[in-house]
Amino acid sequence: MTDPADPFSEQRRHDGVKLVRAEGQDVPLLLRLRDIKDVCNDTQSFSNDNPLMIILHSEAAVRDVRQLPIESDPPDHTEYRALVEPRFRRPKAPEYQAGIGAIIDSLLDDCLGSAEVEVVRGFALPLQSRGLAQLLGVDESEADLWISWGIHVFRDNELGPKGSELDRYLLAKIEEARESKGDDFFSELNRAEFRGRKLTVEEKHGFANMAFAGGRDTVIHTVSGVIAYVAQHPEALEFLREDANRINTAAEEFVRYVSPLTVITRTCPHATEVLGHEVAAGGRIGLCWPSANRDETVFRSPDQVILDRKPNPHIGFGFGPHNCLGQHQARAILRGLLRAVCDRVERVDLIAAEPEIEQESSYSRQVGYKSLRVRFCGR
Amino acid sequence: MPTITFTSQNGESTTIDDAEGDLMSLAVKHGVQGIEGDCGGVCSCGTCHVQVDPAWIDKTGPATDEEREVLDFEQSATANSRLCCQIEMSPELDGLVVRVVRS
Ligand code: HEM
Repeated sequence: MTDPADPFSEQRRHDGVKLVRAEGQDVPLLLRLRDIKDVCNDTQSFSNDNPLMIILHSEAAVRDVRQLPIESDPPDHTEYRALVEPRFRRPKAPEYQAGIGAIIDSLLDDCLGSAEVEVVRGFALPLQSRGLAQLLGVDESEADLWISWGIHVFRDNELGPKGSELDRYLLAKIEEARESKGDDFFSELNRAEFRGRKLTVEEKHGFANMAFAGGRDTVIHTVSGVIAYVAQHPEALEFLREDANRINTAAEEFVRYVSPLTVITRTCPHATEVLGHEVAAGGRIGLCWPSANRDETVFRSPDQVILDRKPNPHIGFGFGPHNCLGQHQARAILRGLLRAVCDRVERVDLIAAEPEIEQESSYSRQVGYKSLRVRFCGR
Repeated sequence: MPTITFTSQNGESTTIDDAEGDLMSLAVKHGVQGIEGDCGGVCSCGTCHVQVDPAWIDKTGPATDEEREVLDFEQSATANSRLCCQIEMSPELDGLVVRVVRS
């Protein structure tokens, strides 16, 4: 049995590759940090330009639009990304972070007043959704609708004749904001120009779909992981309170340790070989972020959470031209969460935890929780 | 008290007197262009890349192994490249000059 926390360790040490079955192909997953970085830098041999195929399994059942900017290559990608990058950098501003802090405080008020909280749906999902409303510059009440969609809107929805609920919603929002001069994401997409022309509806839809999909499970799993860790390690909060710099190192360490995104793929336009594995033209390889982030040639005690780990050269947010656009949002949420919990929570009591297990042909891995029931005790 | 100078790609330079702490935090605090410090100084994001003036590299020392995990994949990196979140100001570094790599 391999450890569900790091099912890649043996092969990472041995030959750096694990094969996994997906869409009729044995996809070689790269497991070592340096090999993955090399691939990220070589966008000509390892392309993102393969719509619906960016994660391990095809997403044809849950969407029909090319996600932007992720499912494109330079030079298009560079220009697409630049259109939305300023908005995704807003979370670096202190006023923005104060807004995220207010969202966290109001959720903690509720948690501290309850005998029991199911963290995934009762805390992480609303935090992620309200945070996204702030990022996109839309009314907070929109988040209530997104919350009502639940956790699985991107995975379990078979596309009906009119697309998924999310896609219908996004297209309606884009249409609604057609003439708007507003400072929200949908209005901004309508105003944006790509090489001297307006974006097509498909392009706008692709940006919007990505903004919703990219930051959902990733943030929810990492936030749940933080709360689960604090519940299992009561001494952690005192340790974090001793030195303000630890808020930051701990946030990075949780991104490394949780690595909520198991695999992102690249498609090889030409036949190639990776670490001795042949890949046919059109075939895919996988970049295994959680494995890179436990590479024992890079990280001391990689299986341990070290809250003041520094240096910590993790690639939880990816690497190279496609590195995560939502990383500033994710950091604002994680740092704000750790700060608020240190200030207001004495301890978190674990009531019951049911891990979420990703089951693939050659490994199973825990990614977050199906359900995490706890009690928050105030200071 | 120690002084540090950052020269940016656009030719501007920023000199900070009484400099204390790590160079990345100093640069962010003083709004030095091209230094982002996104990861807060844990040597992950690579957005605080500088080249140390050759006259100073013996005093700052070369990049550590962890910095190399990031810098080896930056096309613009040279033997004098450092991630400046990993350089702490000290009296011996008084007068240090570094060139910011990103614009
Ligand atoms: C802890 C939370 C998160 C993790 C671990 C994470 C991880 C990643 C990774 C590994 C990539 C690289 C993909 C590649 O190389 O092709 C990526 C890209 C991306 N992420 Fe995130 N992400 C997180 C949160 C978010 C959030 C909150 C958003 C949006 C609100 C977001 C939006 C994006 C976008 C748009 C890209 C594509 C960037 C591009 O292609 O240029 N992510 N993310």
